[in-house]
Amino acid sequence: MTARFSLGIDLGTSNSAIAVTDMESDHTQIVEVAQIVGQSQLGARPTLASALYIPHPDEFPGGFALPWSEAAEGTIIGQFARDHGALVPDRLVSSAKSWLSNPHIDPRQSLLPWASEIKEKLSPYEASRRYLQHLKNAFLHAEHAEGRKWEIADGQIVLTVPASFDEVARSLTAEAARAAGLGDVTLLEEPQAAFYAWTEQTGKAWHDLVAPGDIIFVCDVGGGTADFSLIAVTDVDGNLELERISVGEHILLGGDNMDLALAYSVRAKLEAEGKTLDAWQFLALVHGVAKAKILLFEDDKLKEAPLAVPSRGSSLMATTISSSLDRATLEQVVLDGFFAKTAIEDVPKENRRSGLQEFGLPYASDPVVSKHIARFLGRSLQNVKSSEKLTALVGDRAGKVALMPTAVLFNGGVFKAAPIRARVLDLLASWNNGEPIRALEGFEPDLAVARGAAIYGRHRVTGKGMRIKAGAARSYYIGLETSMPAIPGYNPPVKALCVVPQGMQEGTDLVIEGREFGLVTGRTADFRFFSSPVRSGDNKGEVLADAERELEETSLLEIEIPPLDDFPAGQVVPVRINAVVTELGTLELWMEHVNSDRRWKVEFQVRTE
Amino acid sequence: MKAVSIIAVLLLLAGNAAALLLATNQFVLPPAAEAYVLAPKVNVFHLPQAALSVLPYVAAGSIALGLIALIAIIATRSRGPAAQAARPASALGGNQAEAEIVSFLATLQAKGRFVDFVMDDINAFNDAQVGAAARVVHAGCKAVLDEHFKIRPIREGGEGTKVEVPAGYPADEYRLLGKISGQAPFTGVLVHHGWTTDFVKLPTVLRSSADRLPAIAPAEVELKQAARA
Repeated sequence: MTARFSLGIDLGTSNSAIAVTDMESDHTQIVEVAQIVGQSQLGARPTLASALYIPHPDEFPGGFALPWSEAAEGTIIGQFARDHGALVPDRLVSSAKSWLSNPHIDPRQSLLPWASEIKEKLSPYEASRRYLQHLKNAFLHAEHAEGRKWEIADGQIVLTVPASFDEVARSLTAEAARAAGLGDVTLLEEPQAAFYAWTEQTGKAWHDLVAPGDIIFVCDVGGGTADFSLIAVTDVDGNLELERISVGEHILLGGDNMDLALAYSVRAKLEAEGKTLDAWQFLALVHGVAKAKILLFEDDKLKEAPLAVPSRGSSLMATTISSSLDRATLEQVVLDGFFAKTAIEDVPKENRRSGLQEFGLPYASDPVVSKHIARFLGRSLQNVKSSEKLTALVGDRAGKVALMPTAVLFNGGVFKAAPIRARVLDLLASWNNGEPIRALEGFEPDLAVARGAAIYGRHRVTGKGMRIKAGAARSYYIGLETSMPAIPGYNPPVKALCVVPQGMQEGTDLVIEGREFGLVTGRTADFRFFSSPVRSGDNKGEVLADAERELEETSLLEIEIPPLDDFPAGQVVPVRINAVVTELGTLELWMEHVNSDRRWKVEFQVRTE
Repeated sequence: MKAVSIIAVLLLLAGNAAALLLATNQFVLPPAAEAYVLAPKVNVFHLPQAALSVLPYVAAGSIALGLIALIAIIATRSRGPAAQAARPASALGGNQAEAEIVSFLATLQAKGRFVDFVMDDINAFNDAQVGAAARVVHAGCKAVLDEHFKIRPIREGGEGTKVEVPAGYPADEYRLLGKISGQAPFTGVLVHHGWTTDFVKLPTVLRSSADRLPAIAPAEVELKQAARA
């Protein structure tokens, strides 16, 4: 049965959006999401704030009913949750998505709101599931109201994830979507979605704007996260082909950091004038500074933007503090602070935190975005050089220190400001021996990822239209204990066996020959699981000598073969590894019996330190 | 609706009265009409004789019921408008329209501190203080108007320029000042460009209780360290 629509879901860290393509009319549009926007007010907005507020039972007795549910839900999701949660931060769950990829916690444990004392906490997995369920219900409600009697099973659903998400975070997201009632969703990397949106918005002319030999840098800096990817453009038998050749790390750095930095500098100025701000006034200052920043970036003739900071009492005229944000401070903090003109060799300083450290989200310790871009381009070069195929693909763009792109596609709220885009282009040109880098014109950066996801779904359904060749963004490895005599004080290095090479395509599977394991029935066996985004040259079955030094550890793998009729408990069963990348983009590892057809699935077990 | 039901009952009464009179032979019709109307006597439905004799009583009962229904309709009708006029306009009951107005005020207050500003004593402050507060209100209320309406001037072009008011202009869109004589189209100087909105897109109000108006802004109470339960 062919799909009647393609639904693209952008589950963002701070804001989520949905777009739908009607397969009959071939028209893509953003679907406004109904949500609670104020106390007892139900409205529809183009984005859903990814914020969840857990009210105290006495706060809103009776709750707020949404149009698709008779009873009011216990928690509130959306704009009002964010606005009210700013006043009661103890009860606000935000940035749940970043917790999904945090390797130090179990995302299924009820941990959020983080560092809060309330009893009714949620897990990052559960919060994500609720956002997805809200988006699903809002979509069906909006379509039914327009007269289109669609159900989820009638369509192709595409859900975007950051390119930096490893397999554990990806499979958790896919599972949350299934639990939300969206069925089996196809996963798509966010930078790729932004690119699809760009090709659609540019129209047929996009073929003329990129050429074989181009390397496109998709630079996505949103409110709280920065995500980078590289897409190579080549010519295959006269056709333009695109391949994603590198992904960056999940960097917790974005526009919110810039607003906070500006607010701190204005507060310092006010304190020098003798005016102090309480916590509520500081919140208002952050909002005011964000608006002033947009004003100054849009109009370069303005020398300063006025700021008025109210307090929460009812006498506005008595307590409002006046100030202003001048252009010099803005440029010093945002342009020279976050987008400093650094050298290509300057990479973010990794602070060695000795001793106790406040546990939480791994915010980027170095806020200079330029250094993170430099690190990404350097690691991309490392990835490309480690495989002949990619080296040939990239040709002479590979420099000595970094892989330089030829064009940039900007995405995310931060790049709505023209001066910031200009600064990044300047920076890249300075690393490129003065040669300028082209900018591809993005459009509606808040909504591009959702649109791109819907468009990708449409291409999948029709089988026509451009597809970026991607495959697994990382290579994955299983840890092997070396058999060595025990030496006191010496830990032998853990070897790693490559089970999934980077670039393994969706819908393929492979078996690791020549490596057999003995699993004891009725006992759980644990394997250490590693991955790397920069080792494109490792093939299946290759063994690395020192996993802990070369690779990033992701999670534990767990498998238990239950005692069966022909395998009584305690018997050793010879198995080998079968790795599958599904059509949906998720990874499955199976242990298949050497002597028969039977196989058992390996489960991801999130490690907690 | 009420008129239709009254007419229906009157017809019912008339019909039953006619049937009764005919059945009891109180009526004498001209011969031509007799042929038409003598249905009760002619036993069209081939009812048994016993049933025919009951017919006058059935008709009488229907007339009585019809009269009762008529009295009831007229009585409730006259009570209607009078009852509504007796209730005060700003009832504590609060209808949905009033709740929506309060909700809009609440939005202006939440986003723009509008009510705080207007309810404050402006004479106690100097221009700088009022100006600072005005900036807050301006920013917030403008965001509200931009979000829920599409407000634009009725007439483009600067104020002070010559404009022509077309013939057949909508009365709510143009107001003529000064000396008005002659016929449309009128030529004059634009003093105020007017405002209009293309649409109104306000959030739906969720009522928690139908017997009072919602609050414009809640009183805010800050709680410190959680009480040991």
